[in-house]
Amino acid sequence: MDVTRREFLKTSAAAATATAAGITVPATALAQSQEAEADVQWDKSVCRFCGTGCGIMVGTRDGRIVATKGDPDAPVNKGLNCIKGYFNGKIVYGKDRLTRPLMRMKDGKFDKQGKFQAVSWEQAFDEMEKQFRKTYSEMGPHGVAIFGSGQYTIPEGYVSAKLMKAGFRSNNIDPNARHCMASAVVAFIQTFGIDEPAGNYDDIEHTDAVVTWGANMAECHPILWARVSDRRLTNDNVKLVNLTTMSNQTSDIADTEIIFKPGTDLAIQNYLLREIIRRDAVNQAFVDKHCVFATGPYDIGYGMRATDKFCYDAEKDIQAKELKVTLDKDEAIAQRKKAGEVVEQNNTKKPVKHWLIGFEDFKKAVEPYTLDFVAELSRGDPDEDLESHKAKLKALADLYVDQDRKVTSFWTMGFNQHYRGSWVNEQIYAIHLLLGKQCMPGNGAFSLTGQPSACGTAREVGTFAHRLPADLVVFNPKHRAFSEELWKLPPKTLNPKVGSHITKIMRDLEDGNVKWAWVQVNNPFQATANANHWISAARNMDNFIVVSDPYPTVSAKVADLILPTAMIFEKWGLYGNAERRTQAWRQQVAPPGEAMGDVWQGLEFAKRFKLKDVWGEQPIPGLKAEGFEDGKLPSVLAEAQKMGYSPEDTLYDVLFANAENRKVKWPDNTVSKGHGNHIAEKLGDGWFPEKALFNEYRQFGVGHQHDLAEFDVYYGDKVRGLKWPVVNGKETQWRFNEKYDPYCAKGSGFDFYGKALKALPSGDLDKPTNPEKTSLAGKAKIFFRPYAAPPEKPDNNYDLWLNTGRVLEHWHTGTMTRRVPELHRAVPTAVIFMHPDDASKRGLKRNDVAWLESRRGKIKAVVETQGRNRMPRGYTFIPFFDESVFVNKLCLDVTCPMSKETDFKKAAVKVYKA
Amino acid sequence: MNISGILVVVASERVEAMVTQLNQMDGIDVHHIDAATGRIVITQEAETISDEVDGLKRIRALPGIILAEMSYHNFEDDTELLEGIPAELEGEDLDSVKVPGFLNE
Repeated sequence: MDVTRREFLKTSAAAATATAAGITVPATALAQSQEAEADVQWDKSVCRFCGTGCGIMVGTRDGRIVATKGDPDAPVNKGLNCIKGYFNGKIVYGKDRLTRPLMRMKDGKFDKQGKFQAVSWEQAFDEMEKQFRKTYSEMGPHGVAIFGSGQYTIPEGYVSAKLMKAGFRSNNIDPNARHCMASAVVAFIQTFGIDEPAGNYDDIEHTDAVVTWGANMAECHPILWARVSDRRLTNDNVKLVNLTTMSNQTSDIADTEIIFKPGTDLAIQNYLLREIIRRDAVNQAFVDKHCVFATGPYDIGYGMRATDKFCYDAEKDIQAKELKVTLDKDEAIAQRKKAGEVVEQNNTKKPVKHWLIGFEDFKKAVEPYTLDFVAELSRGDPDEDLESHKAKLKALADLYVDQDRKVTSFWTMGFNQHYRGSWVNEQIYAIHLLLGKQCMPGNGAFSLTGQPSACGTAREVGTFAHRLPADLVVFNPKHRAFSEELWKLPPKTLNPKVGSHITKIMRDLEDGNVKWAWVQVNNPFQATANANHWISAARNMDNFIVVSDPYPTVSAKVADLILPTAMIFEKWGLYGNAERRTQAWRQQVAPPGEAMGDVWQGLEFAKRFKLKDVWGEQPIPGLKAEGFEDGKLPSVLAEAQKMGYSPEDTLYDVLFANAENRKVKWPDNTVSKGHGNHIAEKLGDGWFPEKALFNEYRQFGVGHQHDLAEFDVYYGDKVRGLKWPVVNGKETQWRFNEKYDPYCAKGSGFDFYGKALKALPSGDLDKPTNPEKTSLAGKAKIFFRPYAAPPEKPDNNYDLWLNTGRVLEHWHTGTMTRRVPELHRAVPTAVIFMHPDDASKRGLKRNDVAWLESRRGKIKAVVETQGRNRMPRGYTFIPFFDESVFVNKLCLDVTCPMSKETDFKKAAVKVYKA
Repeated sequence: MNISGILVVVASERVEAMVTQLNQMDGIDVHHIDAATGRIVITQEAETISDEVDGLKRIRALPGIILAEMSYHNFEDDTELLEGIPAELEGEDLDSVKVPGFLNE
């Protein structure tokens, strides 16, 4: 690069940074920088990583990404990046980028024990189709599965969900977002009748207190934390409280840090609810007008299998709790029972059921959660004085109860990846609703999303075993009828039986109930707990596993077929972030080699199947639904013919490239601005799949409280995403609040208009007593949920807690971020964070290598006794980004029984010298 | 060559001293200063990404730094293909994905 160009580029860099920082740049500097970058094409996009959804600008020249910058016009981040976001442009340029399909071969044919060899796309699809037909004819729709993702773009999720549900009539599609947000989703539906947060990120700039519950925002939502820090540093009356099981970077700027024992968040929240009532701080007007009280069963198990047939010997004592639990003394007090009582887990099949209770019963239920009881139970740092811990809990109550203080509560995985994740989520809403501090600027409980499009794609499009788009569900006949009509399907095409959630797909692979699986945009064989079981199943059982990936990952290595896949800036796409903001980007550069986008892969696969292959009668073991014969789906071919379809029509033509969608043309004159579309070009039949399918998909939500604008609107030059519902071109800032949300009934003040689960029987604290259903239209539910102990705790053998999570520099399993050398060097290997006393008691010091062993497996890791995370005694933490420190071999596949989300944060391990 | 735009924030009374210090560092140029709010916009040139981030760390280590973050990144001249995952994970027989023997006993 010559000196002049370098000087000009520096001027650009400075101008861009200054603009982002709100500093005025002299006109000469601006002119110079424009000249320097005259040959760089800048276009808006979003960051590939977390649920914050920062806006970035991507600069390309000669078909290559040459620069990126934080987008100064993006309201989310206003031009700032965190370190992962800064390297967005580099993640596509790794040496080991996959560019050709790879299949296990021996003697020129597919062989599961063979070595990977490059094959053509044609060969890849041929084998995929052959294997799919074999399994489908043997087992029907329940024998095939898709591992989906909260990092799918909206068109990608829509193609996969529609292909699976409307084409193959299978509900075995479930995203890795199950491991992330499922508990939050259950609580939204239970409490409000509709998914996703009421507020938006501007709550940060309005609030007087931020409470983080099991959310290490400083590392995991760094740009949001930058906004919180800014608010705190410029307003001394604003308070930050960090509730956590270990001291972390979020604690650094918090006014108060409360260290609690795993699982006792259930008790702490009930203490707060008790205090609100005791101090007469209930917002009676709000509660009377807008809320009801509810509760449900406690004997719901832990989401494990009901049999120990598949357990390693060491796991059996934990698995036994799925059937029977012996209450410890704390649980007895918390649940109004006797210590030592053995409780049969009778409600494992219907854990979500709930009923109305009266306020007096609610008050009685929280009565045992006194400060003394809860402080003793919850104190997480054995070296902290009990009185100090008590004082902090009391101060936390003071904060919430203060009438003049707006409070925003944030949480992520600490609440969601929890054996009672749905309960803890419901409790934080209970606290805010009881105080009337919800759905107002700066005042509300805000569930933070981890992945970039768990909201926009997985939840809103419905890439789940039980969902359809826009909060519809497969087991509701009205929802199916609506979907069938919109999708122009014959009635009874859609399968009413809920499919396998992501952990269950793994269990199905292990017990032979699923024999064909496709992994898209995630790394489940590294990211699923109790990994030894699933890796063995993938390699040793009779099945066929396809993995679409840009890089070789653990999942790719256990696959039978690897498909090279395009990354974010190599395709058109849209993401939806944690504050309901849907954002869009164009294809910036072409994918390398033969890599292709997931949308193309799904559409090409759809071409291989005709209606006659899939819309005939299909066996669905266990199906029981009104209007359906037990155990099967009827043939809909006759009805299809009446509708004008032929049995020889392909799924591609029926579901995707139908007459309506083909009207949306490629090349496109409206929004493409000269950008390519490798998918439209390769398909070669003149239509624009991402645009056509997005505009088809949005019809699910329009008029149904989930309104999205039309595709083109998101590509407007001045637009930086829009928060849905978008009604009459206007986005919605705070939902359910009449001042801001057009869906609220006039004069309601607050209207919780979500429709799901709004008619309930009533009863007492133990059971429903009156089956007659009361309507709760417009209301939200305040739940009572008791404290229950974690199923696996440290004992004499496995004597330390193990928690897992993320660090700032790496995203999830590191498949992208570990290819950036500096991110890799910043945190090259996962280390186990331990208290120095715990280490020395085991003959270990900092940087020693130790064995970590749980009931389920054994790995080695380097010991860390200092650094960014400081452990209390008895507690350890290890991040999960490192394939060579394969944490999930240790983790427990207990889930919240209601959400099926894995509890990655509470296992018992022993640590000893290697 | 990688060029970063970096935002540095210090207390406003330290701006002058910080500007002097930054100007003395290799590869760093000071471009814009907003003394009232303590914000300084600099650029850094570095051969590789590793050098870029090392440079940022050196800046962050200076006394009085409230914030130092990279915001703009031009890497048109850097055609380094990034290293893949560690070599021991490249082969076919991978310890990290094999089921450990003792679990099948």
